[in-house]
Amino acid sequence: MTASSAATAVGMRPAGYALVRLGQGRFLLHRRAAVAAGVLTLALATVCVAYLCVGESNVPPADVLKVLFGQPSANELVVGTLRLPRMTVGLLIGAAFGIAGALIQTVARNPLASPDIIGISQGASALTVGAMTFGITSYAVLPYLSIAGGILAAALVYAFAWRGGLHATRFVLIGIGFAIALRSVTHLFLTKGDYLVAQQAQIWMTGSLNGRGWDEAAPLAWALLLLLPAVLWAARAQRTVSMDDDTATALGVRLGRVRLGLVLTGVVLASVATATAGPVDFVALLAPQIARRMTRTAQIPLLCSALMGALIVVVADLLARRLLSPTELPVGVLTAAVGAPYLIWLIIKGRTGGKA
Amino acid sequence: MRAATSPTTRALVTRRIGWTAAAVAALLLSVLLSLTVGARSIAPAEVFDVLLHGGHSDAAEIVRTMRVPRTLIGLMVGVALALAGTALQGITRNPIADPGILGISQGASVGVVLAIAFAGIHSLSGYVWFAFAGAALASVAVYAIAASGRGGATPVKLALGGAAINALLTSVTMAVLTTKAAALDEFRFWQVGSVAGRDAEVVGQIWPFLLAGTVLVLSVARGLDALALGEDVAKGLGQNVATVRITAGIGATILTGAGVAAAGPIAFVGLAVPHIARAIVGSDHRWVLPMAALTGPVMLLVSDVAGRIVFPPSEVPAGVMTALIGVPFLVALVRRKAVPA
Repeated sequence: MTASSAATAVGMRPAGYALVRLGQGRFLLHRRAAVAAGVLTLALATVCVAYLCVGESNVPPADVLKVLFGQPSANELVVGTLRLPRMTVGLLIGAAFGIAGALIQTVARNPLASPDIIGISQGASALTVGAMTFGITSYAVLPYLSIAGGILAAALVYAFAWRGGLHATRFVLIGIGFAIALRSVTHLFLTKGDYLVAQQAQIWMTGSLNGRGWDEAAPLAWALLLLLPAVLWAARAQRTVSMDDDTATALGVRLGRVRLGLVLTGVVLASVATATAGPVDFVALLAPQIARRMTRTAQIPLLCSALMGALIVVVADLLARRLLSPTELPVGVLTAAVGAPYLIWLIIKGRTGGKA
Repeated sequence: MRAATSPTTRALVTRRIGWTAAAVAALLLSVLLSLTVGARSIAPAEVFDVLLHGGHSDAAEIVRTMRVPRTLIGLMVGVALALAGTALQGITRNPIADPGILGISQGASVGVVLAIAFAGIHSLSGYVWFAFAGAALASVAVYAIAASGRGGATPVKLALGGAAINALLTSVTMAVLTTKAAALDEFRFWQVGSVAGRDAEVVGQIWPFLLAGTVLVLSVARGLDALALGEDVAKGLGQNVATVRITAGIGATILTGAGVAAAGPIAFVGLAVPHIARAIVGSDHRWVLPMAALTGPVMLLVSDVAGRIVFPPSEVPAGVMTALIGVPFLVALVRRKAVPA
């Protein structure tokens, strides 16, 4: 049985895929996607070492590796206590934004439907900044408020854009409207608090990794670990959503539920990341689009999107730390400076999608 | 066109005059509300007494130093934003054009931030020029983005271009505010969009700009009518399309820049008011523009008054109130399919 079925599997193997055997199991692996993931991992590792080396005081790579492998070193404090936790937060939120963008873009079939354009980030900001001005500054509470705000904003936009179906244009336009209104609510909260709170909130709103440490990294890592099953489910479900509606229905897929599940996973991921570092603009828009161009797959590749998101955030934060040193810019300033021109390019090229 | 004696035309004119009178009455009422309602209510009779005879009571001081400038600024900014929105919707032939959505207000904001942070300018007559420059750059950029590529400047492309420019400019603002912490304290009260707490001098400083912008926009009212029929028809009717667009565009930029410099970025007035005005008096811009100039201040003043009474004793700035009123409006507009995809 094994020989013949293996032969058919090889014979029916789609172009560009390799058959991988792991003990009893076999699965198809997209060659180009695997190569892209490998390249991205290498690039990410290089950038991470560079991130740990460069700063106010430069540390030689050998010392960085020593710290990473737990050997005693004079640079323990700078690398292990200051830079490493901050980088970890950057990696995690980058990956989360990357996957969130990939999922929401898959469902909307539109690269523009990323959380920072359709009001999800702004919803998270509004609730969080509101809480900050009313004196809630503990990181035990703020993330939950941020998540609630993001989900609430997404639900509102979804509900108002729904009219016997979800039309991508309507969805994006209403999302932009909500984004503007929620931003003005956030500005209102900014004027209510005292000056120090306003400054803290302003920096948070831009998306910043300044002063993030293990205290923020640990809950974030736990939250992402909890979301991992949902992401694994999403990676499979993604394929059914990209079929056209008739085929999917004929195959017995409950499209509505699958879409809702994917969007919900994406929104929660984006909100969790926003809760930790603020809305780091455009990562969710950029990462999936670049990843897809690298792999040339039909679906937006989740793993590559996550790696790409992490790469963007770590590089941007490295630049944010060093560009105007000693002043540290919020990382969101840099991602927006790269992301907005990309969005403009998308609009000019007409890749904005008409229907969903 | 001059055979304006047919019964239907006469009925239309009567209707338009009637609605204009109603709009004037609404405007007077909202001015009165703005003068009387607040943390401390002052009876209309007392307000009139103060305005006509002066006096030095507490109420007189409040009316003279706070309520009157606030109301005047509300009036002027309302007129400016409504006319700017009407002109933008006319030249882009786009129902959701609005200085806020298109990122023009954000352009003016960046101009003001740069003026406060780097040029050390803190007076309105100083930074209004920066606001103009920012507004002009942003409007040119957004239009250029939307017009290039396939399909021309469709509503979605304009809105997305606006969102992109908004994001880019916001990041510039943030970068400046992070490096110049002192500017944030001044800027955060300005960026929310409010007509309260502005100096009385502001009134004297913005009216020339308001006048110039209004004249420019009104001068091309006929051109905007022709443009509404399509670019080719407008050319056939003998209109110089480029001149109309540029004149109205400069007018809208001046009006937005002046309005934003005076009150901060106030969203959605420029979106909603032109639609209301068109619904009332039809599509003739010689009627729509004056009607928008009457209803714009009504919306802004009513928003401002509502903001004073929702959470006493603190106030909700007018910019937040207009956004909260404007979003349902945008939603209705988009859902009604008034916006072609």
